[in-house]
Amino acid sequence: MIWGRVWASRSASTHLTAIEMATRRQLLAGLLATSLVPRHSWADAGNPAFLSAAGLPGGGYALCGISDALDVVFRIPLPARGHAAAAHPARAEAVAFARRPGTFALVIDCRSGKVLAKLQAPADRHFYGHGAFSADGTRLYTTENDYEAAEGRIGIWDVNAGYRRVGDISSGGIGPHDIKRLPGTETLVIANGGIETHPDSGRSKLNLPTMRPNLSYIEDRQITEQIELDTKLHRNSIRHLAVSKTSSVAFAMQWQGDKIDAPLLGVHKRGQAPRLATAPADDWRAMQGYAGSVAFSADGEQIALTSPRGGIVQFYDQRDATLQQTLQMADACGVAPTQDKLVITSGTGTIQTLSGQTVQNDDLLWDNHLIPV
Amino acid sequence: MRLILALVALLPLPALADSTRSIVDEHILPGFAALAETTQTLQNTAAETCTRGDPLNTAYNAAFDAWITVSHLRFGPTEQEDRAFALAFWPDSRGATPKALSRLIANADPVAETADTYAEVSIAARGFFALEFLLYDAAFADQGDADYRCQLIQTITADIAAVSDAMQQDWQNDYAAKLIEPSADSPYRTPAEATQELFKALNTGLQFTSENRLGRPLGTFDKPRPNRAEARRSARSLRHVELSLTSLKSLALALAADAPDIQEKLDQRFTKAIDVAARVDDPSFAGVADPGTRIKVEALQSAVESIRQAVALDLGPRLGVSVGFNALDGD
Repeated sequence: MIWGRVWASRSASTHLTAIEMATRRQLLAGLLATSLVPRHSWADAGNPAFLSAAGLPGGGYALCGISDALDVVFRIPLPARGHAAAAHPARAEAVAFARRPGTFALVIDCRSGKVLAKLQAPADRHFYGHGAFSADGTRLYTTENDYEAAEGRIGIWDVNAGYRRVGDISSGGIGPHDIKRLPGTETLVIANGGIETHPDSGRSKLNLPTMRPNLSYIEDRQITEQIELDTKLHRNSIRHLAVSKTSSVAFAMQWQGDKIDAPLLGVHKRGQAPRLATAPADDWRAMQGYAGSVAFSADGEQIALTSPRGGIVQFYDQRDATLQQTLQMADACGVAPTQDKLVITSGTGTIQTLSGQTVQNDDLLWDNHLIPV
Repeated sequence: MRLILALVALLPLPALADSTRSIVDEHILPGFAALAETTQTLQNTAAETCTRGDPLNTAYNAAFDAWITVSHLRFGPTEQEDRAFALAFWPDSRGATPKALSRLIANADPVAETADTYAEVSIAARGFFALEFLLYDAAFADQGDADYRCQLIQTITADIAAVSDAMQQDWQNDYAAKLIEPSADSPYRTPAEATQELFKALNTGLQFTSENRLGRPLGTFDKPRPNRAEARRSARSLRHVELSLTSLKSLALALAADAPDIQEKLDQRFTKAIDVAARVDDPSFAGVADPGTRIKVEALQSAVESIRQAVALDLGPRLGVSVGFNALDGD
């Protein structure tokens, strides 16, 4: 075992009720049935199944909604390059984050394209490009860099008060990047990438020899479990997360060094030891030390790991985290579950499902992440 | 000559291999040989005298020059066992180097008795930046016991020489061949992969100079950070920019050997940046808060950025190593 469980304290029971186990769509259906439907739902925005930021070939950037049929159902201009987005659980609202080290995020009404609110990072902070909503959609959580203190923070925003900032808490490490909520709970899981940056020096990495990434779980504003890599793997920056319906957390990593066959995927379940994925050295090498996104398939059977640098997508069996197959796809990065297992987007404008359905958008360069609505 | 170049351009793979061979022979191996030699001199000098000032400072400057000249070649033997960081722990945003040194001195820690044991201490207490504190910083002039400080200087220089020698040996005896002759067992399977490694070194070297060597002291107009300049205690900040530009220029021109138009453009932009650097009359960037000095340092950063642009938009595509929207993003 090359991983160590640093510390953990058990939290309140995570027993899930039937409704908590339901998917977001089922939950919405439930809301409809009980006439608790929000004022404006995602149906009013063309029923996107996914959100993705995009670059435009002539310059300029956009946030797009993509339907189950892989059609672009809306396209809203963004003032600068985006990264990821967060979709409100019920209302047709998306939070589009500027690319790191951006200091703003826009809350967009996806029906009209209107900016409903602008989130401004506090002084000496910037966003990392990811965020997550609470289950009821009343709180938004954002990963942030307190760059003078070199500490990761999670900003907390009151959605119903017009996305007013109401506080912040420690992320449990340096360089928090992705943040997800475990289904049916208010538990947040955070990928603390471990890399210190400061806007004065752009995106330069300031602490590679001493970096220590971790995976942190936050419940009720407290860090209740934290997983750290073995010191031999301290250069493996934990960046992106996917959460299964049964709360397995898949984490995608980026190797910050010269070694070229480091494993770039791990799977963790609360209270257990994490497991690193296994693949032949040549397959890790083909990823070029860089995983861009990670997703579970809709049936939970597979984990997809993209590498835009390698121009490939790897698929792992979630049971034992072993490599099953590899797909060649230039500049592939965004990936998300769909009814047909998995869908992948690329910087060349391609959207492709695992079964081979392909849509080419020549006027859109799909950015890093594909976010399920 | 023109005809030969045209023929070479029709044979991209052998051309890439030829350019890699010349970069190894003329850029990489001589650079590491100079590092091994000057760090050996530094060790020998410190063994004779550990008094601040000359001849120790001269030896320190010569060896540090040699390191900066090869410091962009961060792959293979340079990266192994964190050797590059063992020579140069910078940026040190948390002040780890002075803290680690003070702790050693306060405890007169016997770990400093030999270079072998010293290789186990915090990486922040090793290398040129640790040595710079001991040789130039007022706070370390009389801290603790003089004999211990002397031993620390001798051991740090011996460690620097040992790390440099290991790099040189590995480059000379092993890794140079791997880069020149890609194969299934080599870290590089094709000449294109070797070229990509060299291109990456050029790119990240330029990025480091622009964002760290210049960006950190510049800070923002409202909050300039002169205390964050690299090696400011020995007034080497500007010199590092100049040394890195000169070295990166030779790498860039060699990579562009088969593309005369791009080579000329790169030559012009590097020459311009080196000229701009020569007009910055502030070796430690202490004046970044002064508008007159600041504008010159900003102009230098712009000149380096214009090189980066030509490398990314012209050289990369010509070498076939340009990368996509997401591949380039790195997040």
